[in-house]
Amino acid sequence: MEPTEIQAKLLELLTRIAPDIDPRSVVADRDFRDQFDFDSMDALHFAVAVSEAFGIPVADTDYGKLASLRSAVDFVQGGLTRKA
Amino acid sequence: MRIEFRLPSLGADMESATLTEWLKQPGDRFAHGEPIVTVETTKGLIDVEAYQDGQIADLVVAPGTKVPVGAVLAHLTVADSDQTAAPVSSGAGVAPPQATEAGEPIASAGPVEAPPASTSTVTATPPPATGRARLSPAARRRAEELGLSPASLEQAGPATILHVADVERLAAARSAAAGGSAAPADPRAAMRAAIGAAMARAKREIPHYYLGLDVDYGAARDWLARTNARVPVQERLIDAVLITKAIALAAARIDGFNGAFRDGRFEPAHAVHAGVAIALRGGGLVAPALLDADRKDLPALMRDFSALVTRVRAGRMRSGEFSAATITVTSLGAEGADVLYPIINPPQVAIVGAGAIREQPAVRDGQIAIRPILTLALAADHRVTDGRAGSRFLRAIADLLQHPDKL
Repeated sequence: MEPTEIQAKLLELLTRIAPDIDPRSVVADRDFRDQFDFDSMDALHFAVAVSEAFGIPVADTDYGKLASLRSAVDFVQGGLTRKA
Repeated sequence: MRIEFRLPSLGADMESATLTEWLKQPGDRFAHGEPIVTVETTKGLIDVEAYQDGQIADLVVAPGTKVPVGAVLAHLTVADSDQTAAPVSSGAGVAPPQATEAGEPIASAGPVEAPPASTSTVTATPPPATGRARLSPAARRRAEELGLSPASLEQAGPATILHVADVERLAAARSAAAGGSAAPADPRAAMRAAIGAAMARAKREIPHYYLGLDVDYGAARDWLARTNARVPVQERLIDAVLITKAIALAAARIDGFNGAFRDGRFEPAHAVHAGVAIALRGGGLVAPALLDADRKDLPALMRDFSALVTRVRAGRMRSGEFSAATITVTSLGAEGADVLYPIINPPQVAIVGAGAIREQPAVRDGQIAIRPILTLALAADHRVTDGRAGSRFLRAIADLLQHPDKL
């Protein structure tokens, strides 16, 4: 899966778990917490959505790797590579 | 028997609401807990639920009308035996607390495909659409900025979720058709004003006293890490659930912190419905309740909490969870300040603020050790309790957090 595809899917997931976010306003390398006041429940919801959508495991210690759009793309790419 | 169905008070910060949609029509039957009407408040859309079984006799208020708390919205026909449950005050007419179902139905609406059905603890899906277009909260804000009535947009389309881009497209189309637009409203300012009014009243009327306690969070943190490492992401717990459960259990055990102060006296509550403050992006907060928080096990409480946050983020909540809270918990999360001195949410008599859990030196077994510390701050009502009882309450919470496996 291409990084642009992954990014588009991640934005879709972000809008689903946080419909109060305008996906066009997402700055790729800024933490969701700084940008959107993400709390621990938002972070968990995002982790669940990513795990289910891409079929990759997300460990309890991996949430930090999903903290921004850019780091989430890297994390998903890594996860998909391991899966393949 | 014919009774009046009034707009309930859905929190101390609510004075009025705009009726957006009748979910039932004259002649329709409804069951206890079923949503009857949707109103728009500064908090977002709230489905007002029936407090008993019945049938709609006639509707009094039309969609689009702004009405004060206590206004008669409709007349209902209910069984005579339910007379004692008939609403008499502005606060009545709302579903009394009842256990919420664990599994939310999965929404199939919207441009995003629904996730596969699973036994997930956490379902990160918005509430189901009920047969017409809905605005996402971001889209709702944008519509208001553009001077468009969200209600008019919602009636325009099929049962989908409209996002910001859809609103802008509709706005452009309308503007091209009509030319010009109305003066934009500022929903955030309205919410800030509502919170300000409620908190000013709380500070004016409630003689607050404050107590703080540093709690060693090591046992809870370790237990949570072990538990979460064993289960899939869908079944994981967060700190806020442990802390809320401990506070709810302590509130059930120590008298004077769980209930309401009304008409000059304290009315203890028989169940613990823990209001949880949830910050809204763009400012403001809401504090809907986790019902029976002391009696639910941690996975069940986590499911309810997750569903609650999902509804809040989607801007679509339920009346029962806004009128039920008997005590409130407010937490700043990992990046917050060390101590949060909260303000009581009337008519409640206590609120517990949880600061950020941070590593700091602490004395343990006569040695200085670096420990994860959680500072709890209690604000309680001096008309009901004093510092001695408050200390017992805080120490009870701290003790419960030392045995997280028993929560």
